[in-house]
Amino acid sequence: MNEELAHLHEVSIGYVEPLVQDITIEIAAGDVIAILGPSGIGKTTLLRTIAGLVRPLSGDVELGVEPRGGLGYIPQRLGLVGNLSVRANVEMGARVRLSKWHLPFLPLPKDLNEEVTNCLESLGIDHLAEQPVRILSGGQQRRVATARSIAQAPKLLLADEFLGELDDDNVEIVMSAVQHVIDKQNSALVMVEHHEELARQVANRIWKIHDGRLIEED
Amino acid sequence: MQKRFFLIVSCIFLLSIFLFFDLVGEWGRLTGGWGNLVIFFEESLWPPNWKVLEAQSYPICDSKLDIFCSVAWLGIVETLKIAFIATVFGFLISLPLSVLAASNLSPIYLALPSRILLAGMRSLPAIIWAVLFMIIFDVGALAGIFAMTFYTVGYLGKLQFESMEGIKNAPLEAAKATGMNRFETAWLVAIPESANNLLSHVLFMFEYNVRHGSVVGLVGAGGIGLYLNTYLKLAQYDKVVALLIIIFIVVVIIDFISMTLRSAVNEGGDVERPTWSSLFLPAAFTSSNHPTPMKKETIEESE
Repeated sequence: MNEELAHLHEVSIGYVEPLVQDITIEIAAGDVIAILGPSGIGKTTLLRTIAGLVRPLSGDVELGVEPRGGLGYIPQRLGLVGNLSVRANVEMGARVRLSKWHLPFLPLPKDLNEEVTNCLESLGIDHLAEQPVRILSGGQQRRVATARSIAQAPKLLLADEFLGELDDDNVEIVMSAVQHVIDKQNSALVMVEHHEELARQVANRIWKIHDGRLIEED
Repeated sequence: MQKRFFLIVSCIFLLSIFLFFDLVGEWGRLTGGWGNLVIFFEESLWPPNWKVLEAQSYPICDSKLDIFCSVAWLGIVETLKIAFIATVFGFLISLPLSVLAASNLSPIYLALPSRILLAGMRSLPAIIWAVLFMIIFDVGALAGIFAMTFYTVGYLGKLQFESMEGIKNAPLEAAKATGMNRFETAWLVAIPESANNLLSHVLFMFEYNVRHGSVVGLVGAGGIGLYLNTYLKLAQYDKVVALLIIIFIVVVIIDFISMTLRSAVNEGGDVERPTWSSLFLPAAFTSSNHPTPMKKETIEESE
């Protein structure tokens, strides 16, 4: 049995009215899970609930990882800081691996600095390292957001449509970098994806939301 | 809907006219007012007395150029120094306070007291702060620096926390989900994300402080206002006019520099890059001639 990274027990999610009810699932190391379903059905809300950004309406969400450093999150709008350089954004991911008492204006230790450089190279954005993120294209920004999460070396990575706007070559680059972290860290990826075909290519577990229920495909 | 809107606007306008007449009271006492102004202007104000640009008799001038020892130069330089120091100190104090006051960065038990503190510092005009600090520090620049710094903290703090509250939610959520603490979120996300606005506000505040530096000087808190006050007391209005013209020129120059810098940091800009004509002429004459030229570049995919 692989290490359990998260467990949801009889969870109902939503904001006022429940969107999805009675979710009982576990996420284990090595999982690459794709959540599928039409727009507005609760996929992003489920991801945000696991990330601790939304309280479940009922039930328990237990995380087997420390949020600081252990949990990576790529929001749908990526959550990059547009005025900072690509490198500074990726460094932000590496920074949460340090103690929370490490002051944010101090430079990163040498080994983490090298890891940041490796992340930039693995995502093919090392040549953009000093560019401010705001001037990059959508696809490039997605790779920066991925690099930031990889630099964090999370045990559980939650990604909301992070493969959108990427062409086939870039999907391969991004997924290869993510898979490398999953293998190295023995971690898991949970992603919301609109493109079912793409999701089935990369995921080893598929969750579908249908009629307010979460169903796992065999 | 339009009728109701028109009715409400008309009522408000009529109310203001009524209040105006009510406040003026007896119109008869205004008879001859314009004539008095003309006499005052011709006899006392005009032409300006440019002796304010000549070196003072005491202390003895060491400089090769007389103007560097003149009342106008000494006064305006001191005003600029006070405004600069107050803006820098005010910014350094207001930045952490605005992080605490921003509701998307701090919990309500920190945000509320910080906002009350900023509102308190802002509610007293700089001139009242100047009077209070003169009691402590006596007449001079130190009272001016403290007065302007206090007001800057209140004013700049409000502008800054509103900017921080206006940043996109996604970077904050990403920071929160990954376990960043408040200080990291503020330093690494909120401040860089709102940096353009923060810089724009600081430049605006410097410009504001230069203008108000002459006002706080009127009560004795240093700068050119101190000389203005002296000339007013001595009824040397022609020298007052000369100093006012100099203040006007300096403010226009700073306004121009400030607007140029601010338009450089405001992408897609809320601040239009200025031309000299735009500083002097109404917008209707100038706005069509210089649309904001800021454009976003996009680096194309290199692959």
